[in-house]
Amino acid sequence: MSRALPSTSTRLALLVMGFFLASFVLIGAGVYVAVSTLLLHDARELARADAIALVDTYRDGGRTALLAELQQRIHGDEGDPDAVYALADAEGRALLGRLPDMRAPGPRGRWVEFVELAAEGAQAQRVIAFERRLPGGETLLVGQRLQSQDRLLALMQQAALLALLIAATLGALVGWLTSRWVARRLRSLDATAARVGAGELGLRVPLDRSGDAFDRVAQRFNAMLDRIEDLLGGVRHATDHIAHDLRTPLTRLRNRLEDLRQQPSGDAARHELERALADTDQLLQAFAALLRLARIEAQATDADAPELDLCALIDDAAELYAPVAAECGIRIAVATNEASVRGDRDQLFQLVVNLLDNALKHAPPGSEVELALDIAPDGVRLQVADHGPGIPEAERERVFDRFQRLEAHRGTPGIGLGLSLVRAIVRHHGGRIQLLDNAPGLRVQVMLPSP
Amino acid sequence: MRVLLVEDDAHTAAFIAKGLREDGHAVDHAADGKQGLFLASTEPFDAVVLDRMLPGLDGLTLLRTLRGAGNATPILLLTALGDTDHRVEGLRAGADDYLVKPFAYAELSARLDGIVRRNRREDGRESTRLHAGDLELDLLSREARRDGRRIELQPREFRLLQYLLRHAGQVVTRTMLLEAVWDYHFDPQTNVIDVHISRLRQKIDHGFAKPLLHTVRGAGYRLGE
Repeated sequence: MSRALPSTSTRLALLVMGFFLASFVLIGAGVYVAVSTLLLHDARELARADAIALVDTYRDGGRTALLAELQQRIHGDEGDPDAVYALADAEGRALLGRLPDMRAPGPRGRWVEFVELAAEGAQAQRVIAFERRLPGGETLLVGQRLQSQDRLLALMQQAALLALLIAATLGALVGWLTSRWVARRLRSLDATAARVGAGELGLRVPLDRSGDAFDRVAQRFNAMLDRIEDLLGGVRHATDHIAHDLRTPLTRLRNRLEDLRQQPSGDAARHELERALADTDQLLQAFAALLRLARIEAQATDADAPELDLCALIDDAAELYAPVAAECGIRIAVATNEASVRGDRDQLFQLVVNLLDNALKHAPPGSEVELALDIAPDGVRLQVADHGPGIPEAERERVFDRFQRLEAHRGTPGIGLGLSLVRAIVRHHGGRIQLLDNAPGLRVQVMLPSP
Repeated sequence: MRVLLVEDDAHTAAFIAKGLREDGHAVDHAADGKQGLFLASTEPFDAVVLDRMLPGLDGLTLLRTLRGAGNATPILLLTALGDTDHRVEGLRAGADDYLVKPFAYAELSARLDGIVRRNRREDGRESTRLHAGDLELDLLSREARRDGRRIELQPREFRLLQYLLRHAGQVVTRTMLLEAVWDYHFDPQTNVIDVHISRLRQKIDHGFAKPLLHTVRGAGYRLGE
């Protein structure tokens, strides 16, 4: 989740930036087209007005007056430097300037666009020109060089590109900052959720009182946590009460049975009383185990628990169980490497003992139960393996449930809380537990974080 | 001996008081913390059985107050919360031992004897030889002998026998043995202790007319004639 966060906000930032740039390009292209059309239109208007004036001159004074006027315009100071003129006689011979090689235009005139061959060192220039046939059969061309328009458009392009670059940079920066801000706001929520999930129920998301959406979500989240804590507290309270209220009469019952057994009575009655006592003891044990289980499950992981030598602890457990194993003709093989973990010594011992107890219950006589401890890359690995019947894969998750006992083991003593307790202890220590196939038998693998 | 019982629950108090009187002890009962503190600090007692959850003044506060005032009477703390944290907290506050409610009377009786015995022993010099009948354990040479014959013991068996001899004549429970000899506070799934005891019994009683290591049904074990 925490790793996916930046990518989500980065995607968001990129998306925003993409849309932003696309709309920028679209608007820029629109403006560019509009401006260039407008400029071209202006140039045409100029050329057309010029042409109308020149045709009038021709009507008034004929070819001579027109030529004089054109010369005056080309070489005079008054003339438009961007204007282009050309005149040819009816046979197409040039009287002034050069016409582009094309069919002669009609009397109504037409627009042509060509590139003017430039003098040495100068740039070739686009020209837009109006050509028309004069009443005398001559062809008159009046044009406008588009150099200033082209310069303006080039400048516009450059400006647009520069603006685009700046916008992209700014967009990326804003996007990155936004995504970082979102990620930071989400990260605190995420981190809190993760730690609460690990059992630190007292933790709350820090609020900044800004009242923005994140702050409101955080407030809701905190309110939810308050509620969960209340409920859990209620459950714990109820469990304590049930345990207290039920265990007390049970103990009383046990003490009464004990008293009765002390009285002189027949062998049959004594035997029945002993069985009743054993049953009461089992009930009491189940209550104690349930209570302990509920407590461990509700405990937060203790990050500054003392460091302890797991190797010595496993040796102690093996030593404690050696006589029991010997009675069943089973050998406990211990293969440990130096390894330490942080945690509760009594709980970890309970964990090892429960796993060992399970293995011994199911291992066939004459076989070996292995206790192994080594350091893996992702933590300390504890393995307990037997050569018993094993657990079918479909049932492996179920054995951790409270009071869940596999059909095959109904006959064995126990109350079905051993593995639930093991899992609760593993989780409380921030570890993982897996049931694997030992072919034949069961291999329980517990991974605990290195200190 | 004279025992002070500080317990607010009338039923539990009656049950404990009855057991203690049957064992031949004199019992004073206080139903709340204030009265308990008053009695404990004004009268001499051999031991105090103290409930942790009391109205008015809670058990831990009472305990700390007594210890703060230099009162060293052995105290057994009773509690309904079976968490190891609470256990450590109780022992840190100055309790000599700790028992989770509900309990069999035999367990309370055994633990109470244990802390009184320990307390008395600390007054005198620590003995380096322990006896029970013709069985003796030399703590310096780490040798066990019965009737002059040497008995080979594993280190753990030695510790087990040492603990039983220290509490000779008293009932010790399985949980007491696990805590004292193995030094872990946990819930044994099967009766692992019984097998250790029977092995020890093989070594110290086998071939002798009088067994010394007895099983007390429903409670635990007792070493003695």
